[in-house]
Amino acid sequence: MRALRYFLHEATESLLRSWRSAALAVLTIAAGLFVLGFFLMVNSNLQRVVGRWSESAEMSVFLKDDITEEQLRSLEAEIDTTGVAKERTHLSKADAVARFREDFPDLAASTERLERNPFPASLEVRLAPTARDSAHAVDTLAAKLPTMAGVADVRYDRRWLSRLGSAVGFIRTIGLVIVLLLGIAAALTVANVVRLAAYARRDEIEIMQLVGAPFAFIRGPFIAEGVLQGGIGALLAIVSLWVVFLTGRGWYARQALEGLGLTTLIFLPISAIAALLVGGMLLGCLGGLIVARTVR
Amino acid sequence: MIEAHNLSKLYGRGVYALRDLSLRVDKGEFVFLTGPSGAGKSTLLRLLLRRDVPTDGQLVVGGRDLATLTAAEVQAYRRSLGFVFQDFKLLPSKTVLENVAFVPHVLGMPVSQQQRRTFQVLKWVGLQHRMNAYPMELSGGEQQRIAIARALVNDPMIILADEPTGNLDPDLSLEIMNLFREINARGTTVLVATHDRELIRRVGRRALTLDHGRIVEVN
Repeated sequence: MRALRYFLHEATESLLRSWRSAALAVLTIAAGLFVLGFFLMVNSNLQRVVGRWSESAEMSVFLKDDITEEQLRSLEAEIDTTGVAKERTHLSKADAVARFREDFPDLAASTERLERNPFPASLEVRLAPTARDSAHAVDTLAAKLPTMAGVADVRYDRRWLSRLGSAVGFIRTIGLVIVLLLGIAAALTVANVVRLAAYARRDEIEIMQLVGAPFAFIRGPFIAEGVLQGGIGALLAIVSLWVVFLTGRGWYARQALEGLGLTTLIFLPISAIAALLVGGMLLGCLGGLIVARTVR
Repeated sequence: MIEAHNLSKLYGRGVYALRDLSLRVDKGEFVFLTGPSGAGKSTLLRLLLRRDVPTDGQLVVGGRDLATLTAAEVQAYRRSLGFVFQDFKLLPSKTVLENVAFVPHVLGMPVSQQQRRTFQVLKWVGLQHRMNAYPMELSGGEQQRIAIARALVNDPMIILADEPTGNLDPDLSLEIMNLFREINARGTTVLVATHDRELIRRVGRRALTLDHGRIVEVN
């Protein structure tokens, strides 16, 4: 405990002594973690959008006019057994024309002049959110249904959902690469700042070495200094993210949210905030360790 | 206490700082190392502080061959030494009290013991009244007495001093040597490197003269 107090005291003094270079390291860490946090925040909201869209993803099974009751039951049973459907609705020909009239009121009158109802009956299958991850099962069902008796055509939204998933994955990968590079830059900046601190304290270190002070006592302050810089940088990043989040939510994001189908934006979950804080401290610790290892 | 057997230290370009040097310093002895600049005095002290290892030969202190010590053993060994340098090596940002207490502090001595021991040695070197001053506020002689107090605070078995009076006038030099004599009188082995032959004559202890890394004279 006494050693820890000593490390923190020495580290704080050193940070105050060389506050300009320490501020640079703190800002670099904050920048790296801000980008990471921003990506995490965008990612978690994007996941919600994709989830919401996936929930509304549908498979439409258009039925032939001469489909029998038995064939319909058989189709429904096939859909139910795959487990990819969250909800299944049978739309009769009359329901289909009624929906058309509702969706396109300007054209409603034209349907009344038709001699016979051209709209096919269908089974509207709303896919379960888990179906996005079990694409194979959905594909198999989509391939099988057109071969069954009474089915005229099958259409569903998988292709664009899969493209959306790929785009999200790509953005995430780019983000991780940027975060990794910023992380390395932050650790190296901390290492340089701590190295400057080590230089400023070289006489003290020499005396500690000459009197046989334990390595932990010699190296501890450098590691503590790195951890402090990392921690302060992480806190700065979290506060900045919170400010950006509040501004974004209250300002132009509202319109975008409506377009995306989200009513609210969410901030980072507690676990991600804790991970950012710990990550910042670890980055700082890494920088401190790089220097501490050279002090023998 | 200290034994060197055919000790050699070779630096780059084939320059020997020490060559085939053998010596013996008994426990409780006071020995001067003298000789011109570059004779090998400081190199021998560096080897004794285990800041360097010999190229050849053996340096044994208290029965331990210094070249074979592990990092942890080096630390333990250094705790049995006290060192004094020509440039004092005091920490300018710390007060006299903090400078002396720094050693027991980093060695993990309990706080009450640190304070008692620090005050004892400051009193012993006669500077307890300056304990709140900073090194820059002290004269050269006072700074060296603080450095001696710091060397003593850990109650070492051996004191190593490298040109401890190099920056002091003759009267102050003798005053510092008298402190070393008092330390030695209490049973501590003292090894002082100096090129001041007049000082050695006035103190009157065994002196080993080095030249080109060899002992050329024993007085």
